[in-house]
Amino acid sequence: MKRLSLLGLAVVTFLSGQEFKLGGKAGDFTIQDVKGKPVQFSALKGDLTVITFIATKCPISNDYNGRMTALYNDYAPKGVKFVFINSNNTEPAAEVETHAKQNGFPFQVYKDDKNLVADRFGAQVTPESFVLDKAGVIRYHGSIDDSQVLARVRVERLRKALDSVLAGQPLESPQTKAFGCTIKRVKKAS
Amino acid sequence: MTPRSWLFLFCAVSLLGQPRPSPLDESAFQKVLAAHKGQVVLFDFWATWCEPCRVELPLLIRLEAKYRSRGLKLITVSCDEPEQELDAAKFLGQHQAPGPAYIKRVKDDERFIDSIDPQWSGALPALFLYDRQGRKVKSYIGETDLAALEAAIRKLL
Repeated sequence: MKRLSLLGLAVVTFLSGQEFKLGGKAGDFTIQDVKGKPVQFSALKGDLTVITFIATKCPISNDYNGRMTALYNDYAPKGVKFVFINSNNTEPAAEVETHAKQNGFPFQVYKDDKNLVADRFGAQVTPESFVLDKAGVIRYHGSIDDSQVLARVRVERLRKALDSVLAGQPLESPQTKAFGCTIKRVKKAS
Repeated sequence: MTPRSWLFLFCAVSLLGQPRPSPLDESAFQKVLAAHKGQVVLFDFWATWCEPCRVELPLLIRLEAKYRSRGLKLITVSCDEPEQELDAAKFLGQHQAPGPAYIKRVKDDERFIDSIDPQWSGALPALFLYDRQGRKVKSYIGETDLAALEAAIRKLL
């Protein structure tokens, strides 16, 4: 089954044009702040960086608003940088800004024009997270935890991944399946 | 009784009348698939919180009605949490989904998803098309091009 999963992952990777892969290095990329100003990822990253694709309208992503804030509050003091990205072409920057304010996010959310960054990471849903180490290597890819419903969470996957990397330990599950709403991509001319 | 009480009673009775989707795990999925050998089966994994799913499902119901006599079977699998089960039943009822209808109830989400299709991340909507021998012919993840889906179904019928 594991072999099949890897094969499946390889096929998806090939089909989607995904450039940044688990265990490989993620290059620099450009995102936009909510005022439309371009920002380089290289200016935001740290020794350990979490990139999470989120949404304004997706109920699953919104169920994680509190959990994302808690993650930020717990790990930013440990030096972890967080980059939250909205790639949905259906959610404009002004909506992203309002959503962030309404939810009291202590972090900024960036826009990904034409979902170019989501494409390069092969991100499919919101929320979906990637953990990058100092060298830019993707050490974890997947979900924040294992249940949309906070009361039913058994494994805090992203926290486990961060704790392992911070402790210099190998990750137990570097890849998990992110669940949520599909990222609303721009229609590409066929 | 006040008009509000009557309305509450009406809503409560309406909800009670909805057929509830049956629980489905990976072994039940295989049994359901085997039970429909001889038909072209389209599994629709959806959820009430998934807007594209809510748009797509009524169109799939119409598609099934169009090809039912030729052997197409639509089977819906809600991926809702227990809290949304009633809403799922209500949505299916409103759109007169022909059934059978299931709701995902599994111990291990990742194992379940892998058992359906190792390439599937679990993103919704997700459609899986099986031929009359129960072999998976195609997976559609995300919003589906319904014309392409219909063409694939016609080829199998």
